[in-house]
Amino acid sequence: MSTTATAPTRATEPKEFRSDLKPIWCPGCGDFGVLQALYRALASVGRPPHEIAFVSGIGCSSRIPGYTTAYGFNSVHGRALPIAQGIKIANPDLLVIVAGGDGDGFSIGGGHLPHAVRRNLDLTYLVMDNQIYGLTKGQLSPTSPRGLQTVTSGYGSIEDPVNPLLYVLAYGAGFVAQGTPADMPGLTAVIEEALRFPGFAFVNVQSPCVTFGEEEQQLRAHKANMQSLAGLGHDPADRLRAMALASDYGRELHTGVFYRNPEPAPTYDALVRQRQADLSPGVVPRERVLDRFRQDGGR
Amino acid sequence: MRGDLVIGMAGSGGDGIVSAGESLIAAAAAEGYHAVMTKSFGSQIRGGESSCRVRVATSEVLNPGGALDVAVALNWDDFLMFGAELPVSGATVVLYDAKTGVAPDKLPLVGVTPREALAVPFANLAREHAGTERAKSSVILGLIAGYFEVAREALLHGMRRKLAKKGESVVESAERAFAAGEGWAAAHPLREPMPLARPAEPVPGKLLADGNEICAAAAIFAGCRFFGGYPITPSTEIMQFLSREIWKYGGAVLQAEDEIAGIGAAVGASFAGAKAMTATSGPGMSLKSEIMGLATIAELPLVVVNVQRGGPSTGIPTKPEQADLFQAAFSAHGDAVRPVLAPTSVADTFWTTVQAFNIAERYQTPVVLLSDQEIAQRKETIEPIDTSTIAVEERRRPGEGETQDYVRFRTTASGVSPISEPGMRGGNYLASGIEHNERGAPTASGAVHARMNEKRIGKLEPLKRRRDLFRVFGNDGAPLGLVSWGSSAGVCREALAIAQGMGLRAKLLVPCLVYPVAEEMYREFFASVRAGLVVEQSHQGQLYRVLRMFLDLPKGVRSFAKSGANPFLPTEVAEHLRTAALALQREAEDAREPQE
Repeated sequence: MSTTATAPTRATEPKEFRSDLKPIWCPGCGDFGVLQALYRALASVGRPPHEIAFVSGIGCSSRIPGYTTAYGFNSVHGRALPIAQGIKIANPDLLVIVAGGDGDGFSIGGGHLPHAVRRNLDLTYLVMDNQIYGLTKGQLSPTSPRGLQTVTSGYGSIEDPVNPLLYVLAYGAGFVAQGTPADMPGLTAVIEEALRFPGFAFVNVQSPCVTFGEEEQQLRAHKANMQSLAGLGHDPADRLRAMALASDYGRELHTGVFYRNPEPAPTYDALVRQRQADLSPGVVPRERVLDRFRQDGGR
Repeated sequence: MRGDLVIGMAGSGGDGIVSAGESLIAAAAAEGYHAVMTKSFGSQIRGGESSCRVRVATSEVLNPGGALDVAVALNWDDFLMFGAELPVSGATVVLYDAKTGVAPDKLPLVGVTPREALAVPFANLAREHAGTERAKSSVILGLIAGYFEVAREALLHGMRRKLAKKGESVVESAERAFAAGEGWAAAHPLREPMPLARPAEPVPGKLLADGNEICAAAAIFAGCRFFGGYPITPSTEIMQFLSREIWKYGGAVLQAEDEIAGIGAAVGASFAGAKAMTATSGPGMSLKSEIMGLATIAELPLVVVNVQRGGPSTGIPTKPEQADLFQAAFSAHGDAVRPVLAPTSVADTFWTTVQAFNIAERYQTPVVLLSDQEIAQRKETIEPIDTSTIAVEERRRPGEGETQDYVRFRTTASGVSPISEPGMRGGNYLASGIEHNERGAPTASGAVHARMNEKRIGKLEPLKRRRDLFRVFGNDGAPLGLVSWGSSAGVCREALAIAQGMGLRAKLLVPCLVYPVAEEMYREFFASVRAGLVVEQSHQGQLYRVLRMFLDLPKGVRSFAKSGANPFLPTEVAEHLRTAALALQREAEDAREPQE
């Protein structure tokens, strides 16, 4: 590894995470706020950018890794979670972040979510949920409300949206939170907490699409409607209450931590390490792998 | 004395047919014979008909052989189910269960009278001597040892070892059943005895394995540290082997939720700096196509094993076919070229798998390893592998000073740019499926796209000049040429020997690199060829067609192709070659005929 002894081992300034690529997002897009909050959260956590792997799929929000100085992987539609798991298993020392939109995570990639959650790798998954497909210019998304008229649902949607918060809680995630760029300190705080949580951490960010989104999904509406979970007196250790509150998704805008497992389970990546250590006490020469086929007993 | 014996057996689940075959090949291997064993089953999950063929020889065996020398039928319905895999000829000795009630001259075999048929009371012998019909497989082994003098001591030794855990009484009853089989053989001698010659002294370090196991072991030897996959017949044993072994070498296996996640995780692991692999069969390959394209454009090393089976769709999961070559070469959208390698035997799978990793790492590309059900699930004795002669390559990482102003996709003479990985300070970059410039920044520029296509495709050119990825057998400068790949190549090597025995001057080209097409290698081979065959197990003759995309083949070179699950016999390939030679001869004579 090409490390320089004199280089700092911590990065504590938000600007250290800002790359020189200019975002392609529309002016006023909620994702700018998410990016700023992420810079701040990363600066608080302090891991240097080269120790971070930031994976995304496809969509407006999936461009986000390129706007950071971390190792980024802007992959294909819906597959960020499996790729991130491979990264984390191959190198558990990395801080691995996954990001994407509601279509990427709950529609085309929806099949991967329960498995990422139940395996409980130490990952942070940020979804920028805008209830619309923005990159392809305004089609129905899996979180679009029933009745929504879009270019692919001209007569109004006749299906119910998914409830990502409830799903992820039901799958067994150890950390589930929601934020909005309308509350930057709150958003920064939940992202930071997710990054620090030892296990699968999910943050749903209500991130408005200024171009194709509905009026009630914009920051102005968020400011007026958001309700802090802490303000409601919610105890994040209470998983059942968290599920009851999560059921309001689409009707209420709750911000903050829905659930934080007070006794986080061992992570998959830690167990992988443990198994490797148990089964390989020393360095096993690779050619030994053929011994089990030897007819003369080998060894 | 004969030097080669092909034994085929069929029965119902519970008859112990496959277990008898396993014992036989293990004993043959222990005594120093060369041997190969294939298994074939009906589609039932458990029970149902099962069969195996074991070929035992005193010299190297390249394929499961042609018509059987010995057929063992525990009942005729099951035996006939495997007609194509267990062909009986006029030279076959048939041993069948007397309780089928069929007279030796009334066997239900169409158009063939075997050399000799014997109604053996398998079930009765087992019951009388061992007290249970479950001992039938030991009776079979005793008969084989008795009639053909194959590996008697090793069979008994193996039987004792295998049953030791079940207690002394089980061992003893198996021994009695074995002795009963031997005794029956002694009491009912063949009209002409068929003893197999003794093998040479066993070489230390000889191996016995199937293709999937060897592929997995080779991956570990090549330094694979991550496997992501999803169970699918007939490739699953690769994941099973790795899930037992890879941890010992610091690696990990992820049994993913689906085929896409399996390859996705493998790409992620490769991005993180680990050598990575996924394995599947046709349907899984279809699902993995998109992420293979991602590995191509992001220039990430990756080995993708496709153990081919009959297709399309679910097709025939338990039978081999070589019909996924088009898919391996062309399933990507966009201008993607990825190397495709094909092993020709279990033994060859070790070397070929290591090459797949070496190529993936050196050229930062996905590599497809096209195995097939026959190689993957057949067992074979393997000469000792001297691993010290097989080089293992590592990807070119940025060296000292190269992470100053690091440019991930920097233009280089070879097209290969040093690749960093998370954790490496200064190597930070954006990997992406979107087209990108040298620095990794997304772009829609046509000029950059053209330049990057040239980089990604051009870097693979040197592969086509690797002579070790092509093997030529037979007479230099011969006018008759065979080309074959994968499991068919072993049949063609034997066919070549038969053809040469007929006095034909012929040669055989076996490409290990089946794509991209190495034009020069083929031009050189075909320079002397006037007639020949491209032999492969697919309906369309996929290699033949791919070759014609890139080359002008000699006029007399034709496709000899069959759909999967229809095995080639060495004799029929040789016969086709003879026909081609005759046509060539006639043509030459016609041309010299004096004009009237």
